[in-house]
Amino acid sequence: MKPQPPRFADRLLRWFCAPHLLEEIQGDLHEEFAYQLGRVGLSAARRRYWRDVLGFARPFTLRRPAAGSGFQDWSSSFLPHPNMVRNYLKIAWRNLWNNKVYSGINVAGLSIGLTCCLAIGLYIWDEYRFNRFHTHAADIYRVVESQNQAGTIYHVAVSPGPLAPALKTEFAEIIGTCRVGSRGGVLQVGEKRIEPSAMRVVDNSFFSLFDFPLVRGNPRRALLGPDEVVISETVAERLFGADWRQSGRLLGQPMRFGKDRILTLAGVIRNAPANSSLQFDVLLSMRHDELQQRNFQWGSNNYHTYLQLRPGTDVSALGAKLENYLTERKHSANTTLALQPLHDLYLFSNFDFRTDWNPTGSIAYLRIFAVVGLMVLFIALFNFVNLATARASRRAREVGIRKAVGALRSQLVTQFLGEAMLTTLLSVVLSLGLLWIALPVLNALTGKSLSVPVGEPYFGLGIAVFILLVGLLAGLYPAFILSRFQPVRVLKGVFDHRSGQLFRRVLVVVQFTFSVVLVIGAILIYRQLRYIQDKDLGFDQSQLLSVRLKNDLPGRVALMKADLRQESSVASVAGTSTDLVDVISSTSAVDWTGKQPGQELLVTQMNVDPDFLNATGMKLMTGRNFDAAILTDTTSAYLINATAARQMGWTPRKAVGKELSLWDVKGRVIGVVNDFHFRPLTATIEPCLFRYRPSETFSRLLVKTRPGRVREAISAVERIYKKYERETAPQYTFVDQELERQYRTEEQTGRIVLYFALLAIFVSCLGLFGLVTFTAEQRTKEIGIRKVLGASVGSIVLLLSKDFLKLVFIAVAIASPIAWYVMKQWLQDFAYRINIDGWVFGLSATLALLIALLTISFKSIKAALTNPVTSLRSE
Amino acid sequence: MKRSYLGEFEEIVLLTVAVLEGQAYGVAITHEIIEQTGRPVRLNQIHAALHRLEEKGMVSSEMGEPTAERGGRRKRLFQVTAYGRRTLVEIQEVRTSFWGRLGGLIHPATSL
Repeated sequence: MKPQPPRFADRLLRWFCAPHLLEEIQGDLHEEFAYQLGRVGLSAARRRYWRDVLGFARPFTLRRPAAGSGFQDWSSSFLPHPNMVRNYLKIAWRNLWNNKVYSGINVAGLSIGLTCCLAIGLYIWDEYRFNRFHTHAADIYRVVESQNQAGTIYHVAVSPGPLAPALKTEFAEIIGTCRVGSRGGVLQVGEKRIEPSAMRVVDNSFFSLFDFPLVRGNPRRALLGPDEVVISETVAERLFGADWRQSGRLLGQPMRFGKDRILTLAGVIRNAPANSSLQFDVLLSMRHDELQQRNFQWGSNNYHTYLQLRPGTDVSALGAKLENYLTERKHSANTTLALQPLHDLYLFSNFDFRTDWNPTGSIAYLRIFAVVGLMVLFIALFNFVNLATARASRRAREVGIRKAVGALRSQLVTQFLGEAMLTTLLSVVLSLGLLWIALPVLNALTGKSLSVPVGEPYFGLGIAVFILLVGLLAGLYPAFILSRFQPVRVLKGVFDHRSGQLFRRVLVVVQFTFSVVLVIGAILIYRQLRYIQDKDLGFDQSQLLSVRLKNDLPGRVALMKADLRQESSVASVAGTSTDLVDVISSTSAVDWTGKQPGQELLVTQMNVDPDFLNATGMKLMTGRNFDAAILTDTTSAYLINATAARQMGWTPRKAVGKELSLWDVKGRVIGVVNDFHFRPLTATIEPCLFRYRPSETFSRLLVKTRPGRVREAISAVERIYKKYERETAPQYTFVDQELERQYRTEEQTGRIVLYFALLAIFVSCLGLFGLVTFTAEQRTKEIGIRKVLGASVGSIVLLLSKDFLKLVFIAVAIASPIAWYVMKQWLQDFAYRINIDGWVFGLSATLALLIALLTISFKSIKAALTNPVTSLRSE
Repeated sequence: MKRSYLGEFEEIVLLTVAVLEGQAYGVAITHEIIEQTGRPVRLNQIHAALHRLEEKGMVSSEMGEPTAERGGRRKRLFQVTAYGRRTLVEIQEVRTSFWGRLGGLIHPATSL
């Protein structure tokens, strides 16, 4: 058979070409194809054919009916005539321009809604992109554990050191593994000392599994030796100066680590990008840990284990095989394993005992933000729909005329959709400007560094899709309403003003429902935060400094304490293993008189000295404090909290003198302290016990300063610290600040919800204002006549406001239970929480009604005050 | 004088239609112009020009006979109308009169 022109090109031509032209054009094209076939060969001819077909995609083939062609051809094109487009644009522009109030409301509302959406979109995109830059990201999983301790399931991110090699030899699906541990310490080169904030112990596979390129050094060999070290660019700069890149003899440099290890520099690694869960500045060799053996047992969980699976592996099947691995191999009796995708590492990590040292985000809050952003956008969209349909009568004539001269309904729909798109386009341009202004605020709020990715092709595409979508959502309903008019009726002047009124009312109700939900949410979040911050924690966290004791300092606690006591700015000072901020040193190895067989209790233990109660202001219920003079206190005495006493089956009074053993060290309870919060208020108070073991050393000093003399106290602490410890820099925190930091996400969320609630109310009111303006306009005559007949200003304001206030009232009624339910869910996260009081709903309702009334009164009072002479004269 | 709007390309096409004497249709015109002028014209340009000319009333058209290489499709054959012919003549006259007044001032070889 003779070669044919490309079929698809032909089909394309048939699709876009006006039927009356198709025969000659296609005929010419085919003839040309046959001619070119003989001249340049098949493939070149096909190429030419394509080019020619596309060349015919021009206005004249698409629209122009040839002289004398039949009637059925008149609408055969799918693109409107350029003249019509020009007319549409002109009319659209006139409509925007002549109704500045309504256009302003639409554009302002939409740009606010779009800005919210875009900002939150950027935020979500940023969070979503975490960890996705690795080449093998989709195939990398972390092994995580679920431990059953004393009847409660705890999720931990760490696993034993021998796990990775064992899994790799046993499962063919696993083609690579990497273990990552966390360490602390001081690194020293010459006289330069640094304390890295993110020191990790990793396998050599770290460089091949993940996309962290080495700037210097051989990724295949680095960290194979036990005493090798790889540093980040930032650390290299700090240790070797800004021009470290110029240095030819960087690798092989010796560094001192801690007291006794000499490491050799094996490489410099590029800084981890901000959107990586794995953050590091110094990498030590896992080989060293392996040789040490101490941390390398099945019984101790010290490392994050990452697996690279063969592409296409059935992950759930592998997960099922791994689940009971530890119990099957008798490594552990109560621990199951699971695989966590690298993609989920950032958003879906919520592990106990701070075993996940990576930065994490929260999917729950991301969802809240997304919903809140969409709410504001929809409020703005509803404004558009409401104003467009309410004012439909204004354009009824235009629609009538257009239909009378032959416009199809589809053409009218296109026209009105186009107008919606135009408004959206305008709003998007404006909102990009707004976004540019708002991003620094958002960045300050969230601690991110978001920017408008103007150059990214994805962003342009996203915006285009966004415009189309929003334009469609805003314009579709009005377009159908407007294009529905019967020309005969509207041209006669018959127009049903109430058409679509119910729909508009529903939308207004929805708008205010959203707004009121957000307002109630914001109020409750703030009240809960206030409640947390004001709650008496059972100890006095003010003016309490927590000083970390590094290197040899724990052995010199007594000397430091003696020195600090001499300072007049220091009220008291205590050695401790904890600073009371989220303490997680719990154990179930506790025994006591009267313990039921099988009863297990997870008890948090803290090592403190006799000054601890004094420094923290804790109160003893019964019994006595530790006493350094009593020898047995330092070996076998315990203080317990009231909860521990209760759960062990004692009253506080009876608890004193009872036998208790921790880690099989027998002792006696010498006193009971009042309950206090050593975990965030999201957790209930758990049993805890204090012991006094100066021999086991204290890792911190708690320094209570005298009121108003914090600065002096700090300088005293720094001076005395330096006196006993030269290698490290003093590091201290304020306990009250640290406690507040625990609720930072909640506070961020509260603030974002508050801002969005305000915006939502504002945009809703814009819409309300538009509707009232329109109603007042429409009823000018009616108001005039009413006034002539003696109506008072008040009654007319009421007349105009009543309907809308009713809607707001309904919205409040709908919003209250929704908000109540949602906030109840949110508050579930807190063990200690506020009651959702009725007055919050009352307040929000009053607020919403007042704001709505205020908005309406702008227009209604003006309308009511207008002299009836003016309103009645205008005809 | 009544002005007749005729672009340079349209004029060439119109002339070609006249030259082809009743055998003028898309492909033929295209090939003729490529041969005579060496310009890389494309089919769609010719079609567009023909449609413009037809709208201006300078050519008329009717459907011709189907051929095999066109897949049994008919071709549209164009003819210059009287108005088209007059326009060509007018253009020619205007040019001749200008050339006459130029009096041989322009010589291709020395125009640079």
